Amino acid sequence: MADLVVVSPVSIARKRRLQRVGTILLYVLFGLVAFSFTLPFLLMLSSAFKTSAEIIKIPPTLLPANPSLKAFKTVLTEAPYLTWYRNSLIVAGAVTTLTMFTSSLAGYIFAKFDFPGRGPLFILILSTMMVPFPVLLIPSYLIVDYLHLLNTLWALIVPGMVSAFGIFLMRQFIAGIPNDLIEAARIDGASEFAIFARVVLPLVRSPMAALGVFAFLGSWNDYLWPLIVINDLNKSTVPLALTFFNSQHAQRYDLVMAAAALAVIPVIIVFVIFQRQIVNALMLAGMK
Amino acid sequence: MGTSVELTTRPSAAAGFGRLRRRRRPPGHAAQMRFVALSLTPILIFFFVFLLLPIGIVAWLSFHRYNQLAPVSPWIGLRNYTFAFQRDPFFRNALENTLKYALVAVPVNVVISLPIALALNQLRWLRALFRTAFFLPVIASAVAVSLLWIPIYDPQYGWLNGLLGWLGFSGHAWLADPNTALWAVLAAAVWQDLGYNIIVFLAGLQGIPDDFYDAAKVDGAGAWHRFKDITIPLLQRTMLFVLVLTMISYMQEFTHIQVMTAGGPVHSSETMVLYIYLKGFQDFSMGYASAMSMVLMGIVLFITMAQMWLLRSRWEY
Repeated sequence: MADLVVVSPVSIARKRRLQRVGTILLYVLFGLVAFSFTLPFLLMLSSAFKTSAEIIKIPPTLLPANPSLKAFKTVLTEAPYLTWYRNSLIVAGAVTTLTMFTSSLAGYIFAKFDFPGRGPLFILILSTMMVPFPVLLIPSYLIVDYLHLLNTLWALIVPGMVSAFGIFLMRQFIAGIPNDLIEAARIDGASEFAIFARVVLPLVRSPMAALGVFAFLGSWNDYLWPLIVINDLNKSTVPLALTFFNSQHAQRYDLVMAAAALAVIPVIIVFVIFQRQIVNALMLAGMK
Repeated sequence: MGTSVELTTRPSAAAGFGRLRRRRRPPGHAAQMRFVALSLTPILIFFFVFLLLPIGIVAWLSFHRYNQLAPVSPWIGLRNYTFAFQRDPFFRNALENTLKYALVAVPVNVVISLPIALALNQLRWLRALFRTAFFLPVIASAVAVSLLWIPIYDPQYGWLNGLLGWLGFSGHAWLADPNTALWAVLAAAVWQDLGYNIIVFLAGLQGIPDDFYDAAKVDGAGAWHRFKDITIPLLQRTMLFVLVLTMISYMQEFTHIQVMTAGGPVHSSETMVLYIYLKGFQDFSMGYASAMSMVLMGIVLFITMAQMWLLRSRWEY
């Protein structure tokens, strides 16, 4: 006890200084770790700006000697890159919108209405969440084939329209909305759909955003499913097209890296702009 | 709450008195039920066709010899399963590769992501910037990430061998050597996934109330004790969540492998999903591929059930 009282001001100052040095060290260390972590992206950019001659230098140069945009130009002119982009945007946009709509609507109904079979139905939906998608590859392919959707963008959109996880997530959040609000709107004469659209939806914006981010990234980055149902280059999404591009230009790392950079950079820009919302959304969905 | 609807629709003692029951329903009940039926039916149809039906079909196919082009698909009982486990060395190889891959990737991932999350949690400034740096690979597509790792591993022009040469070591054909291919892909995949677990751990850490640490400080607990006796036990749920989710996702590894090595060289990096894909969509033995899918589903369901059981027992104290 006595020790505590007689700590000299000098030793407190020294402790503070030590702490400050520790903090600086932590930041330096962190900077290094974070930098080496982003290195693969930087190397990608470096290769993309190199000329085809420089790309086969041994040992590889860290930065392009005379940076050129030639690789990007080649990618954009020789490959239907903008078509791939448009396809990806259409598919991911449609899947995101539809998933958000069906999940919140079904979530609202499971949370706030009592109807015969509600409990068992909800459990059935929950239980399909445990089944990983690759397991259902073959039957999904057969169903889409049966519906004559193979090799169309519909094949990428339709199976993604309903999400068991989305219904579950939205039900959890909508259950927390006070029933009085809904009853009040009903007494005011609002139609059932108007209650859903104008009373319920505005109150669950953040889980909706979370679900939207999830659906968009999942669809935008999906590779396995498009690989199976699309075999027309003009209907490819970006990830699928990238592998085709790679198979055509293997060893031309300048071109492949430029194509990869064109795929990655827009997503990174969107992420940096909306990063707070996206990270919060992912945390929210992660904790369920 | 919600009971006003619930009470009146439940078949009650008044079931025999139809008129009475109808009168006790709140006005607009019919409209509500119409709304439920109209909006739920299409959603349930899609749910049935694209989520439920496939489970039934994959189970059915697994007991048949099925090829889309063949006129008949005879029932062959468990023969797809016995063939997989007894006579197909490639299935065993894929199963082993998948387990090896997942069992190494999960601890490697956690051992790197947890300390980074712990350190990030200590930072007062620039936390968002660092978090972004770690999170960027997560949002990039797995294909793009795989493509950008290929030149890193290139035996001649690659960065990795360049760095090793600069340090005085000899290079290596990372993706072309059966002993290293799987692990080279694993490094790229873990690099891509780390950020997600860092975010989840960070959320778990921020969920621990500061009061606990303050109280421990007042009691004279040092940093190590606070970490060992507060952080670790309170992070257990998050840890279990991360372990199971990461395990399940690595069991389904496909994209990085398919793009970087295509399962080669000599099947050394062939995983289960890749083998299922090859059997089902290149050999068109869809019955056999379905049986292997059922095995994979069994493994994943087992892990999920184990997690639920563990979480339940932990929840009780």
